[in-house]
This record gives sequence, structure tokens and C-alpha cells, in this order.
Amino acid sequence: MTTTTDVLVIGGGATGAGVLRDLARRGLRGLLVDRGDAGSGTSGRYHGLLHSGARYVVSDPLAARECAVENEVLRRIAPRTIEDTGGWYVQAPGDPDAYAAGFAGACAAAGVPCEERPVDEVLAREPGLHPDLHRAFAVRDAALEPWELIEANLADALARGAEVRRYVRVTAIERAGRRILSVTLADERTGSVERVVPRVVVSAAGAWAGGVAALAGVSLRILPGKGTMLVFAERLSDAVINRCHPPGDGDIMVPVHTVSILGTTDVQVGDPDDTAVERAEVAALLDEGERLFPGLRERRVLRAYAGVRPLYEPPADDVGGAGTAAPAGGRMIRRSHVVIDHASQDGVDDFVSIVGGKLTTYRLMAEQTVDLVMRKLGTRARCTTAEEVLPGQEPRHNHWLGARLAAHEAAGGGDADLICECELVTRVELDGFLDERWPCSLDDVRRGTRLGMGPCQGGFCTFRAAGVIAEREAREGASLEAVAGLASTSAAAFLEERLNGLRAVAWGRQLQEALLVEGLYRGVLGLPRSSVPATEPEAADAVH
Amino acid sequence: MPSTDVVVVGSGLAGLATAVRLAEEGARVVVVAAGSATLSWAGGPLDVAAVPPDGTPRQGVANLAAHPGHPYAVLSGDIEAAVAWFDATMAHGGLPYEGDLDRPLRLLPTALGATRPAAIVPAGMAAALEPWRAGEGLVVMGIRGDKDLWPAAVAAGLRRAFAAGSGPGPASITAVTVAIPDLADRRNRSALDLAHRFDDPHQRAALLAHMSRALDGGRSGPCRIALPAALGLEDHAAALAAARDALGGPVFELPMVPPSIPGLRLQAVLRRRFLALGGRILLGEAVARVEVDAGRVARVVLPAAAREMTIRAPALVLATGGLTGGGLVAPASGGLQETVLGLPVETPPEAAWLAGRADAPGGHPIALAGIRTDDQLRPVKPAGVRIVGGLLAGQRFVDERCGDGVALSSAWRAAASLREDAGAPVGRVAA
Repeated sequence: MTTTTDVLVIGGGATGAGVLRDLARRGLRGLLVDRGDAGSGTSGRYHGLLHSGARYVVSDPLAARECAVENEVLRRIAPRTIEDTGGWYVQAPGDPDAYAAGFAGACAAAGVPCEERPVDEVLAREPGLHPDLHRAFAVRDAALEPWELIEANLADALARGAEVRRYVRVTAIERAGRRILSVTLADERTGSVERVVPRVVVSAAGAWAGGVAALAGVSLRILPGKGTMLVFAERLSDAVINRCHPPGDGDIMVPVHTVSILGTTDVQVGDPDDTAVERAEVAALLDEGERLFPGLRERRVLRAYAGVRPLYEPPADDVGGAGTAAPAGGRMIRRSHVVIDHASQDGVDDFVSIVGGKLTTYRLMAEQTVDLVMRKLGTRARCTTAEEVLPGQEPRHNHWLGARLAAHEAAGGGDADLICECELVTRVELDGFLDERWPCSLDDVRRGTRLGMGPCQGGFCTFRAAGVIAEREAREGASLEAVAGLASTSAAAFLEERLNGLRAVAWGRQLQEALLVEGLYRGVLGLPRSSVPATEPEAADAVH
Repeated sequence: MPSTDVVVVGSGLAGLATAVRLAEEGARVVVVAAGSATLSWAGGPLDVAAVPPDGTPRQGVANLAAHPGHPYAVLSGDIEAAVAWFDATMAHGGLPYEGDLDRPLRLLPTALGATRPAAIVPAGMAAALEPWRAGEGLVVMGIRGDKDLWPAAVAAGLRRAFAAGSGPGPASITAVTVAIPDLADRRNRSALDLAHRFDDPHQRAALLAHMSRALDGGRSGPCRIALPAALGLEDHAAALAAARDALGGPVFELPMVPPSIPGLRLQAVLRRRFLALGGRILLGEAVARVEVDAGRVARVVLPAAAREMTIRAPALVLATGGLTGGGLVAPASGGLQETVLGLPVETPPEAAWLAGRADAPGGHPIALAGIRTDDQLRPVKPAGVRIVGGLLAGQRFVDERCGDGVALSSAWRAAASLREDAGAPVGRVAA
């Protein structure tokens, strides 16, 4: 089967979703594919921070300015995905005076709003912070929900004729000289293979962009930088808390929904799929986190997870261009993004890669990418993604656990059986998601509804969700045998994932709870050991 | 200062069995329990051993006893007497169990739509373990709106599980979901709500009438009926008999997620027996500290509401469970701690605690953690202490399915050992 499209977008993270939306708004037909669910890569494995830009004012003022501008744009176009927590940069004991002394000035120079406030005021608002802070600066940080942001971008694109295929992998890119003839897609679930003939290919594959480029015979060097985060079972602060020092490990605490996320580490890895969390990383995070929040070690940790940054290393002879990087790796590499036109760089006319960058600037990255695509196609249309509000953006309170239940009851109530008691996911909500997305995995359900993200980490709701799915399928006349695996196999895969998140943080109540849940499934309920699919522990996403 | 012969910490199967055994011998016993214990999680079957999965519990015990570090290595001689005592105690308490150590393990369906090996089960589950006759079907029946039993999923899963297992299974497996008008608007029910309805004769009759009508629509030929494990809490025997009558065939309960009604029934029988023997239970109390005189347990201090309460006792039984039960904790700073006495914990290398995938044979190495004792279940010190149940090192209770057998045999041994320790029934000497 062969289909045609204007633009094939590879990668369903925030950037790819943003590109698809921008294309659709400028009148181009786009097809987006992802080897997994949308937001199952780096976008779903970050700390949930909408950057004010202040983190980069000293190390990368351009990136800081971009963050500051896009921060305001996202507040306007995607209010539902943002909880306006505000943020603090605090100088903790031991942090350099010089950095704090120059901080406000650097913010002003970079166009990042920042105001110094009395330490007493910060401590009154955030009593969990270290009592001996030296200085404190208020910034426009906020918490950002990545999956809803991505789905809203996709929904806007879909409403304008775009197509999205999840669990579809690019297996080959056929080239003739400077042209891409076709791209071969394989459906991971059905095994079906399809040829797509696009006018332009955009790779928004992030940390995996090197592999995509290689399929087109193009060399693209990505340095996957693994960042590990810890999820605490409660909100430890009202606002985002940052250490006022040169960016380092474990110096950001983000309150997200009902939890807090401490990030991050930065470890260069060879394989972007390497998201295993080492105990040493956890220890390092806690050591640093203690400098902000004394006693942090005793708080309940739900889970550890890692994401892989798509840091770009330009070719050595590319001096002075948009993608100039410092020689050292990791945090020294610029966090700004680069739109790579493979026509000039590699002799492939209709191939574009967008690499680097941050979730906060995804829209700008998409805009610049689509600008290039438009030039290639010789058409013109103004970008409107910064002005038009995304679909479904009624505001709400993310930090109140009962918000969704209250909204449901306000809408007339009905069948409010709670399937996930930790996150208050109702039967109605689950059915709504399944109506839209079936067939899908329980992991997709988790990203879409937060099912299984609370303290029991899927102990009870997994089983119930599998039951709901089986009942629906039976009612809709599907073969029960086809869904027979759901109640046990899929629950097993889901539990295996939860365990992956626990391995590096196996202590306290969370360890006890995990062992209880395992005893329940394996012991009481007889979950067969042989039923877990043989996948490596790589599918564990962010829990926040 | 109140005094007693023995303080038992923990009110799970091991703690209550030890307490009852000691009280039956005339000892004065106080049970102290911080929480409601893991019996509210227990599925119903008495797990003695399931290694190999198609053998008998007795063979399983022998296999496990061959491992030098396993609790059965010292307790296997007591398993026969302990299980016999359990059977008699349960029958006496109106909750008879069926099966024995020599009955081959068979596949018991669960609410997950999976099967698990079982040989000794409460009467309410016994029908599940009879060999399946040619042409005999299975109907999985649930109540609409029950979040913890999904008949369609259970039936689909069981079809696969029986197909994969050896030996004959049901000829057909179908699902029936019963709508009970009276329950239609009630949300977030647990098995406890249903069990209370089955306890009440009038509500029970109404429920069963609905279920019977629904069954007649879904039944063709002889069949057994699998039901949620909620056939009464206080009056299970009557509910079970009524269900058999009303549904016109063998019925059995499916083990479910907590709250486990079969586990709560078992706990209730043991507690009633213990109280009838004059025992005392202090719930919601963790032990603040244990005071030792001349190397022997002397006093147990509880952090009661207003001020500390001290119980003089020359003997102490720890039935606090392992990591799941709360007898062991894993502090963030590393290692494992025993929560009452701070006893040294036999601990696998920390990096390997959760090594291997969730489905690795034998489970995670951390399962083996616990307190090492001598063959009288005494830890290194102080004198007067016995360790029973899940706190004992060297067992993988989930994978070996040995938890209940270890609980009962260690209770049996601990009670006998405390008696010998005192040179006479503890009740008389230690007082």
C-alpha cells in the first residue's frame, strides 16, 4: 500500500506534535508516526517544568530568552496544561555568592522576569526549604503536563485533516540522489507494512534522530544525555524550587499534580533507549536535594525514572552557525535547538531534522521547522500557533486531587465508580479514553488518564482497567480470546514496568507496598510468571 | 503493672495461631497488633507448599526442607500436627477447610482470570478442586458494578489458563453479569458490602433469586458456578448453603483483591477462639520498646494513648511478618531493620534485592530476608523470644506458597518450645 502526504513527521513528542499542528494550520497535509504512543519518549520523561528561562541566563542567554518568550506563549495557548505555581531561585548554604550576585542582572539582560524577594517571605511560603537560605528570586516557572499538551496539539492538527499513527516504526527511507523517494512504515501491533511518499520528511525523533537520519544515509550526531528524576509521593513545595547556582544535578523540585519531582542528573549514554536508573544517581540526587529540603531522604519516593535529552553535536567544521556547541559534553552543550536542513549539509533536499531544545520551546522549534518546510515547498503562510489557543483549554486546578471528580459531578454525575483510587480516575473517564483510543495498552491508558500513577503504582487499578476492557470487548462482540491476555499478560507487563521504576528506590513504605502488590498478584491471584512478555526494562516512563 | 505469661506481637495467622496454642495450654497471653495484619489480603487457600506445582503439599514441604536455610528445614516435622490442629480449630469455629497434605495440588481459578495451585481450601472453594468431568462447564458469575470481579475478563483468562495447564478443565467457560436493581445506583462497593448482604437472610434470598434467574439464561448442561468470595462474613455457612440451593449446582468462591473475605473469616474464627480462651488483644498498638533483665525479656512497653503502658512478660513472640507485614523495614539509608527488638536481619546483598525481572523464577532475592533462629525459633538474644511466620529468614512465601504452612508449623513449634523453655506449662511457671 502506498500513500502520499505533504510532510511525514517522524516522532510524536511535543516537537513532532507541534510541527504537525503548525503544518495543518498552514494548510499542509501532515502524517505523524511514532514507534510508540505519543509522548512515550523524552517528552513524557521530563520533570514537568515550564521553564522561566532563568536556569540558562548565565550559561546560555539565547536559550533563556527563548524560554521566557515561549513560557508566556504557552500560558496563553495551553492554560489547561499549566499550573501556575511560580518559581523560586534560592541561594542555599554553600552556593556561590557571585552567582547569586549576578543573577538578577543576567535575568534582566536575557529578558527573563525576575525579582529578588526577602528570604523570610520565601520561607513563610515554603516552610520545607532549608532555613538558612541567603537570597531568593521569584521567577515565572510553572508546572506543565506534557501528555495533555501533546494530545491538544495532535487534536488541533487532526481537526484540520492531519493523520497520526501510533506504534508505527520507520523501517526504511528510500533515496535517489538528493531526493527521498519513499519511507517504509511498519505497524508494531499489526505487522502491516506501508510505503509513504512524502514531499518532505521532518525528523522530530529527538534522541533517536541519529538513527532516523542514518536510514536516509545521513550522519547526524546526537549525544543522548540521560537525566534521572525522583517522584515524591506528596507536594513538598507550592512553587518550583531551583538552586541559584550554575545548573547541576538534583537542583530543581517541581510540584506536579499531587506529587513532586526532583531532577535531574546528566549522564551521557550511548543508547537513547538506555533509561535504566542507577542507585548511585539516586543517591546523588538525594544528596543535592537535601541541600534544598532538609530531611528529604525520609520522604516517600514513589518511583525513579529517566529521560534522554536530544543534545546535538554539530560537525566539527560547522563553526559559527546556529548549532555551535561548546567542546565539552553534557551541561556544557547548548540547550537551544537547531533546525538542520539536510539539503545544504548532506545533499538531501527534502529532509529536515529538528534537534536539541527543550519542551518549553517546542512551539518555537516547530515554527522554525515548518518555516523551512514551507520554503522548500515554495509556499507561504503565516504561523498562527502562538496566537491560537489549543483545543480543550478550560482552566482547572491541577494540584487538587478531587478536581476531576468534582468536574464530573458538576456535569451531572452518573457512574462515578472509581477505578483508580489513588488518582481518582473514574469509570466514565476510562471509558471515554477507551472510546477514543482503543485498541491501546494499559500504558497508554496511564498516560491518558494518570491511572496507576499514585502510591499503589497500579496495584489495584491495573486489574480493574483490564476487567473494564475485557467487558467492553465482550459487549462489542469481539472474540474474548483476543482479549484474554489483558487480564493477566497486560497486567503483568504493567506491573513489570512499575517494578522498573522502583528498583533504584527500593526502601520504606514504597518497597513494602510493591512487595504486597506483587504478593497479591503472584500469590493470591495466581498471575503466571511466564506471562510477562520478554521485553527489557525500557518501557518505564515518567510517572508524574 | 499488668503482667502476663507471653506477649505475642502481630495478629496474622502466625501470631493468632501461636496465641491460641499457648492459651489452649493454659498460658495467659496478650496479643499486640499495630494493624489489621495481612490476613485481610489472604486469598483463602491454606498455602503449605507448592513445589513442584503438580505434587502434594507434603512433597513440597519435603523439597523445601531439603534447603538448609529454609524454615521447613527445622519445622517440617511439625507440619502434620500443625495442619491437623488448624483443621480441627477451623471446623470447630464453623469454617471447615477441605483437603490435606496428601491431596495433589490442583488449579484454583481466581478473580484475575488466572489459576493458582491449591490443595487445602475453605469449604467455599472446595468445589473448584474436584476433577472436571466430561461435559461439565464453568459459569463465572459476578454482580454488575463490582469493581473487583469482571466476569468476562475472568472467563476469557480462565479459558486460556486451563488450555495452557495440564489435565482436563471445564468443557466450557462462560460469563454472567447479574444486574441487581437494588445495587444499581451504589458505587464503589467492595466485597465487604456484598458479604454483609449475604449475611442477612432476606437480602441473601433476594440476591440469589436474581442470580438464579440470570444463571438460567446462561447455563446449558451441568456446570459449576464461580462467585465472588463474598458469600457472607458472619454467616458464611448459611450463605454458602443457600447459594448451592438457589443456583442448583456446585458453587465456589474466587480469591479476590483485598479486602479478602475468606481471610477475614479465618481471622475472626481465630480471634473468637483466642478470646474464648481468655486471651486479650490490644489493637492499634505498636511496641515502643522491650526491656530486658539479665539477658531475658522482662517487660513490653506500649505507647498507649495518654502514657506508656508496660506489660510484665517473661516471653515474647514476634509474629510481625517480613517486609510485607511490617516486621522488617528498609530505611532510606540502606539495609533492613527488625522493628521490635532491632534483631540482626539476614539480608541479601542490597544491589540484588529486586534483581531479575518480576517474572524471574523464585522471585526477588529480598524475599529471603528475615531473622535467623535456632531450631527452637530463638534469635541470638535476648532469652524468652521466639520468631514465627513471615519474619523467619530463608523463605520465598509468594513463590513457594509456603507462608501459611510456615506460620502454622512455627506457631506450633514456638508454643511447644516456650512450654519446654519454662520446664512446665508457661502459665504456671512464668507467672
